[in-house]
Amino acid sequence: MKLELCNITKSFTDKQVLKGITFSAESGKAFGLLGRNGAGKTTSIRILMDVFPPDSGGVHIEGRPIDYKNVQIGYLPEERGLYPKKLIIDQLVYFAQLKGMRRRDAVTAVDFWLERLGMLEYRNRRLDTLSKGNQQKIQLITALAHDPDIVILDEPFSGLDPVNAMLLKDVVREQIAKGKIVLFSSHQMNYIEEFCDHIAILAEGKVALTGNLHDIKRDYVRDRLVVHTENPGAIRRDFGDCCTETEDGGLMLQLTDPNEKKAMMRRLVDTYEIDSIKVFEPSLNDIFVQYAGDKGGTQQ
Amino acid sequence: MKQFGKILKFELKYYFKNKIFIGVTIALALLIAAVMFFPRISDTLRSEENTGGDETRPIMLVQAGETVEPEAVQTAFAAAFSEYDVQSTNKSIEEIQNQITGGEAECAFVITGPTAYSYYVNTLSMYDANTEIAGSVLQNLYRMHAMIAGGMTPEEAEQVINVEIDSDVVSLGKDQFQNYFYTYIMIFALYMVILLYGQMVATNVASEKSSRAMELLITSARPASMMFGKVVASCLAGLVQLVAVFGSAFLFYNVNKSYWAGNGIVQSIFNIPADLLVYMLIFFILGFFIYAFLYGAIGSTASKVEDINTSVMPLTFLFIIGFIVVITAISSGDVDNTAMMVCSYVPFTSPMAMFARIAMSSTVAWYEIVISIGILTGSVFGIGILCAKIYRVGVLLYGTTPKIGSILKAVWRA
Repeated sequence: MKLELCNITKSFTDKQVLKGITFSAESGKAFGLLGRNGAGKTTSIRILMDVFPPDSGGVHIEGRPIDYKNVQIGYLPEERGLYPKKLIIDQLVYFAQLKGMRRRDAVTAVDFWLERLGMLEYRNRRLDTLSKGNQQKIQLITALAHDPDIVILDEPFSGLDPVNAMLLKDVVREQIAKGKIVLFSSHQMNYIEEFCDHIAILAEGKVALTGNLHDIKRDYVRDRLVVHTENPGAIRRDFGDCCTETEDGGLMLQLTDPNEKKAMMRRLVDTYEIDSIKVFEPSLNDIFVQYAGDKGGTQQ
Repeated sequence: MKQFGKILKFELKYYFKNKIFIGVTIALALLIAAVMFFPRISDTLRSEENTGGDETRPIMLVQAGETVEPEAVQTAFAAAFSEYDVQSTNKSIEEIQNQITGGEAECAFVITGPTAYSYYVNTLSMYDANTEIAGSVLQNLYRMHAMIAGGMTPEEAEQVINVEIDSDVVSLGKDQFQNYFYTYIMIFALYMVILLYGQMVATNVASEKSSRAMELLITSARPASMMFGKVVASCLAGLVQLVAVFGSAFLFYNVNKSYWAGNGIVQSIFNIPADLLVYMLIFFILGFFIYAFLYGAIGSTASKVEDINTSVMPLTFLFIIGFIVVITAISSGDVDNTAMMVCSYVPFTSPMAMFARIAMSSTVAWYEIVISIGILTGSVFGIGILCAKIYRVGVLLYGTTPKIGSILKAVWRA
């Protein structure tokens, strides 16, 4: 299944929030939607979920306008919140029913997820008796219980301890393996890099960059080497201005020509005590800062 | 429609599982039951007291020294004031005053001539009718005296004074005295329920927004289903509470019917005609919807629950003004005045105004009722659609409460 947002524009009162958003995501893969605060991520998600219509453009599935009766969407909003004073089971079943499930199926599905996330003991408790992290796990169930085709997770890892983050990672991997479209929106780049094959970086209501993350990284000129060594002094002395230090204590060597990579690697290994050596690839963080930062430009 | 049913069920559960709702409903029903049992209880207590025999009545002093026949005055006062222990006195005014302020006697009549008296009482109650009774006693004595002086026998004079007039009142339209109390009670019930439950709808919406449950709700259900579900649920909850209170009143009135036989007002309340109950139901539901939709829409524009009180104020004022116009009209008895005529067609006031006119006026034609209900029903749909649109825009707005103009602009664009 292929989900496409085609040239979507949206204005609120006098401000144009989206200025032609286009990107596509495929089932069985995770898609990362990135952008600074106010870039238009939430508005895009809301249009995708039919909370309000776009001014122009449309949401398509397999090239045809989306029919919300046939496509189920699960959503974990960035702003978390359910009914604090109500029983957990009651509200989870309610939300699953609103998504079209029958009551009995909803109870079964909710119980499955409560157990899967280790929350079964809280089934008949009020939500406000739970810790923040546990409330977030409860909210995750509202996004998954009705077995949606598209799962949208907005900052899913914020507020989770490492053990719960691990649990969530497993759940996300399962969803991807089940052939769902998983849409991530997060500022925690490491998670996006870990899961997402494709990304889109939004800046000021436009898509500044979209594509396969691996290809994007490969598109950068491969003319730098990252070297880790026990004795950086010798290399620094020999290479002078071409050599800079990286944040983790390694050395970055700038080559005059990308084609001399292999020769340079061989020379380094032969001449110095080298622990590791590799061609430098920018991290998603670097790419994000470049495209979504103040001087962020659109994709060439 | 399916979603509406689920939302309605969820919201109803909120009311019927709410301990305060259950508690208040039961307390009100019990209170009404206690009121209905009151004459039976007080009757039982009184009969027990009476078997004790020692009855103490407040003392009324009468100084009739200046009149022609002090004994006749004394006897007439004793007959007219049966609830007092009427005692004759010859003490000075100061002493009488001291007796009253000291609590020995409750009040005193010092008769200073055949047609003049002074009345002494410690606290003059709003409902003190003693002077009127004393006035007519003295008037009758004076007339008797004059007639006897004019040559009549005392028997003849007494017959003239006490002549009885046979009367037969036939009300061809409405009997306003009969209708006043139940109309008043029903309008008051309408007022209370709409105000309380309307505010509850607004608070309910605002708290969903402030707890951010709205973020999820808005992506799970149509805003119109959400709002209609909430409004219908609160309408049903209000109806259940009304039925519990009025049902309890009706049931326990019938249980104690014989004890209320002497009370015309209470009897008139329970003699309410069935067609008026149907009108009550129609106007209650339509009136409730129109206000609850607006309260819901206002709730959706507030970011915090605390903002609700100020946001709903204009709407509450509108409702209170309507209520005052109607209550003033039914109290004055003139329910067909211009203000009421206008109010009975304006959808915000017609549930109370038209209902009051149907109950108390004899001149309301059937087509007036049809027009009023027609306008009201149309407005319920119109305002329902408008409010659903405001709701849709409002629930996603956070930050400061937006101005009405900017909301309507956004609604227009949506």
